[in-house]
Amino acid sequence: MSSRRSPAKSSSRRNKSSPTKKKRVTRKPTKSVGTTTRIARLAKGKKPQYFSDPATDKLLWMTLTLMEELSVTRDRLDAVERLLSKKRLLKLDEIDRFAPDAAAAAARAARRSAYVERMMRAVHAELEAIAGREMPKSEAEVVAAVEA
Amino acid sequence: MPAFNTHAMQPTASHDEQARQDFVGALRGHLSGRIMPGAYRVYGSKVEPAFKARHGRPPADHDEVRQLMTQEPFYQFWSAMQRRSQELLWESVIDPTERQLPELIARAKQLGDKAKKSARKTRRGTLLLDPKLEVPRYHTAADIHLQPGGYHTDFTTDDVAAGVIYDKGINLYMGGALGPENNLMGDTLLAYLREKHPDFKPRHILDMGCAIGNSTVVWARAFPKARAHGIDVGAPVLRYAHARAEALRVPVDFSQQNAEHTDFADGSFDLIVSHIMLHETSKSALPRILGECRRLLSPGGLMLHLEIPRGKTAIEKFMHNWESYNNNETFCRYMTVIDLHAEALKGGFPSESVTVDEFAPKLDVAQMNYTESFFWKILAARR
Repeated sequence: MSSRRSPAKSSSRRNKSSPTKKKRVTRKPTKSVGTTTRIARLAKGKKPQYFSDPATDKLLWMTLTLMEELSVTRDRLDAVERLLSKKRLLKLDEIDRFAPDAAAAAARAARRSAYVERMMRAVHAELEAIAGREMPKSEAEVVAAVEA
Repeated sequence: MPAFNTHAMQPTASHDEQARQDFVGALRGHLSGRIMPGAYRVYGSKVEPAFKARHGRPPADHDEVRQLMTQEPFYQFWSAMQRRSQELLWESVIDPTERQLPELIARAKQLGDKAKKSARKTRRGTLLLDPKLEVPRYHTAADIHLQPGGYHTDFTTDDVAAGVIYDKGINLYMGGALGPENNLMGDTLLAYLREKHPDFKPRHILDMGCAIGNSTVVWARAFPKARAHGIDVGAPVLRYAHARAEALRVPVDFSQQNAEHTDFADGSFDLIVSHIMLHETSKSALPRILGECRRLLSPGGLMLHLEIPRGKTAIEKFMHNWESYNNNETFCRYMTVIDLHAEALKGGFPSESVTVDEFAPKLDVAQMNYTESFFWKILAARR
């Protein structure tokens, strides 16, 4: 990417769209939460198992997600520190001495919960399969789709 | 990463969204450039010699290589990371798309309305959707290359999300190597046409399986006097394709149709193209699509299909098929053994008119996802 672009204005949240009424697509659209359309995060299809113990698959899945979020966080910290020191608003050792107040702690807690939710998606996927979400029953079923 | 041009239909990225996409780029670059080649080394230095010592011959084909390699811890770990990198790729693009979806849909409508209004004065593109079109099972059975919802799922009314996500997604997938407007595949096939048929000037062009029209726009720009059509089975990608082409001010007529049986009249086109579409179809759809090409071509007309190489050696073929077994490119495993020349004959083309060529692109070596040498495969035939 040559340039980073600014985030959209908050008015984008006021979404009045409704789920599609079209019936030709066999897969149900993701549920709408409030007025915001949710786009699916899990692809339909049989998920391969890479290791003899399926738990290892999930652990690696989580590790890579963790790697990503750590990278994002380091980038963000870097942005904050550089912006603040450029504006002479902060001496870098102040960060080391910072303790959050109640409001800051609550905001951190909410963000932390959303982060844990995202980290646990591999486990949720298995739960969804147990709950009977429409998925191919076998690899053979998907192969049959291209053999037909 | 090379620059990716901005246009009205792209979502913006917040700091963290951008940082996630940057991480995905770094991770995938490392996996393809530094880890994936290790699978070839493991095979060459350990797996193949051990097999030869036991059986007195090398593994017979890619399926036998598959039996051996999927047991190798190094391969397993690369493969699991590669899979997760693909999921992370889509997630990193879905987040900003979802956040800005209402605006993006509104912008697509504005661009469509503007095209309709100014069509009286200048030539503009069109969009024709068919809500009754049945999306083929080879698209609905599993989400191709793990994009949640594939090319065809509408998550809301007048949805463009699948197109928005695909455009930025394939840019990230190839680490920017597809060019500033994901134009590399169109450019490559155009270069092939100009090399093999320098005087060919099409008047009616059809791009099959056009998705977001990134290649269709290349053809429309190259032949401004021609009428360019793009068809696909996915409504959300076509809505996006239309809005994107209008934002780029390139007139293309998009319609929602299945390439196996379109509603165009016999002999409607003198040039039919596709770009990495054939491997996302099925055994029976493939000859039907090629038969439809023959029906739609006027006498002397050309069809050109750009395809992904499937490897030459057993280990290369196995590695290319990673996509088939791990990335919901299910039909790929058959494309490894399918003879495209023979398929074109099934479609009714005379043998002497059909060629299957290898065409080398100018690609960044760091982006070789599954192999150390890359070339496109081009199926060409003349009616």
